[in-house]
Amino acid sequence: MKTLIRFLLKSKTLFLFLFLEIVSLILIVNHNQFQRSWFLNSSNAVVGEIYTFSNSVSEYFNLKTVNENLAKENAELRNLLHVQENELNFIKQDTNYQGRKDFAAEKNFTFITSKVINSSTNKYQNYITLDKGSADSIRPNMGVINALGVVGIVSSASEHFSVVLPILNPSSKISAKIKNGGNAGSLVWKGGDARIALLEEVPLYFPVTKGDTVVTSGNSTIFPEGINIGTVREFRKENYNFYFIEVELFTDFSQLSFVDVISYKNAREQKELEEKEGIHD
Amino acid sequence: MISLFLKYSLYFVLYVLVQVLILNNILFLDFINPYLYIFFIITLPSTTTRDVTLLVGFLMGLIIDIFSGTPGFNAFATVLIAYIRPLFQKTFGPREEHDFLVPSIKTYGVGMFLQYAGYLVLIHHFTFFVIESASVAHIGSILLKTVCSSAFTILLIAGLEFFKFRR
Repeated sequence: MKTLIRFLLKSKTLFLFLFLEIVSLILIVNHNQFQRSWFLNSSNAVVGEIYTFSNSVSEYFNLKTVNENLAKENAELRNLLHVQENELNFIKQDTNYQGRKDFAAEKNFTFITSKVINSSTNKYQNYITLDKGSADSIRPNMGVINALGVVGIVSSASEHFSVVLPILNPSSKISAKIKNGGNAGSLVWKGGDARIALLEEVPLYFPVTKGDTVVTSGNSTIFPEGINIGTVREFRKENYNFYFIEVELFTDFSQLSFVDVISYKNAREQKELEEKEGIHD
Repeated sequence: MISLFLKYSLYFVLYVLVQVLILNNILFLDFINPYLYIFFIITLPSTTTRDVTLLVGFLMGLIIDIFSGTPGFNAFATVLIAYIRPLFQKTFGPREEHDFLVPSIKTYGVGMFLQYAGYLVLIHHFTFFVIESASVAHIGSILLKTVCSSAFTILLIAGLEFFKFRR
C-alpha cells in the first residue's frame, strides 16, 4: 500500500497528464453532444460577447465597401426612378414616346434593349460598352438611346459585346436640329463638361431661343427623327453664317444603366441607294 | 513572483485573444491555420512545475476550443506538448544549470531555440490535424496541413522572438 501511494505520488504528473488527455478525448468523442451541453452553452454567452465586440470593430474596416455598394444601389434606384418618371411623362403627354414607338414600327425601326457594362465620362475619348453584340443583331452605325435621350452610335460589335461612341467623344458627330423646325446641324463634343455638347452649323437665318429642345434630325439612317437630345443652354453668332449653340444634354452619362439600340431594317438598302446616287451624310 | 504571475496571466489572455480573434480567421488556401498560442506554453519559465504547465496547457487549449467550436482538439494537443516539453528542453536547452530560465533565442541560441520550438509546434499541429480529420486515413492532407501551418506558426514565433531580442 505504501509503495503504491509512493508510486502514485511519484508519477502524479503522469497521471495528471493521462487524466487531462482522457478528459480531452471524452470531449472530442462526444463532440456533437457537448456542443449542446451546458458547459459550452453557458460559456457561449461570454464567447458571443467577445465575438460581437470583435465584429463591431471589424465592421468599421468594411464600411468603405458597404458605402460603395450602397451608393451604387442608390444610383441604380435613382436611375430607375428617372426612367420611370420619364416614361410616365412621355405617356402622359402622349406625344413623343408613343409617337416614337409608332413611328418606329412604321419605319421598321426596332429597339434592342441592352445593359451598359462599362462607361466613362471623365476622359476625352469616352466609350461605352454594352453587353450585347452581333449575336443580338447589333451592328456598327446603329443609334443608341435611353429613356432620356440620345446616347451615341455603335462603333463596333463583337459577338456578345459592342462598343458605343457616345456624344461625349470628339469623334462622334450626330445630325441634330432645333425641334420646331429649321436646318440640321451637327452635334459635337469637344471635351470638358459631360453635360454640355455643341450644336454646329445651324444657319443664322433661323431664330433660336434659350430653352429650345434639340432633337435628332432624321437625316441619316442612324436615328429616327425627333428623338430628344437636350435643350439650348447658350447661343451666340459664331460668324456670318452659323450659330454657336451650347446644348445641355438630357442624358446623364454618369448614370447609364440600360439603353436601347436602334436597328433600322432598311438601313443598308437606303445607304446603298444613296451611295449609288452619290449622296453622303 | 506576483508580478511574474500577473505578467504571464496577461500574456495568457493576450495569446488567447490574438489566436481566436485574428489567427483563427486566417485560413490561407484552406489548409494553413497557424496556432501561435502554444508559444505561451513553449516559453513558460523553467520554474513552472510540470503539473502547472499541464493544467495551464489544458485550460488554454480548452478556451481556444470553446471559441473555435472544436471541443478537446486543442486541449489534447496542448496537454501533449506541455507534457513532453521538458524532454526537448533537456535536448536543446543550455547544458549549465539555471535557477530561472525562460526559453528564448537569447538563452538557447537561435538554432537550438528554433529546433526546440519547431519540434513542439510540429507535434502539436500534427496531433491537432489528426484529431480534426478523425482518422489517419487522410495522412497526405494531414501532413500537408501540418507542414504548412507549422511553417507559418514557426515563422510567427521566430518573428516574435527576434522582435523581443532586438529590444
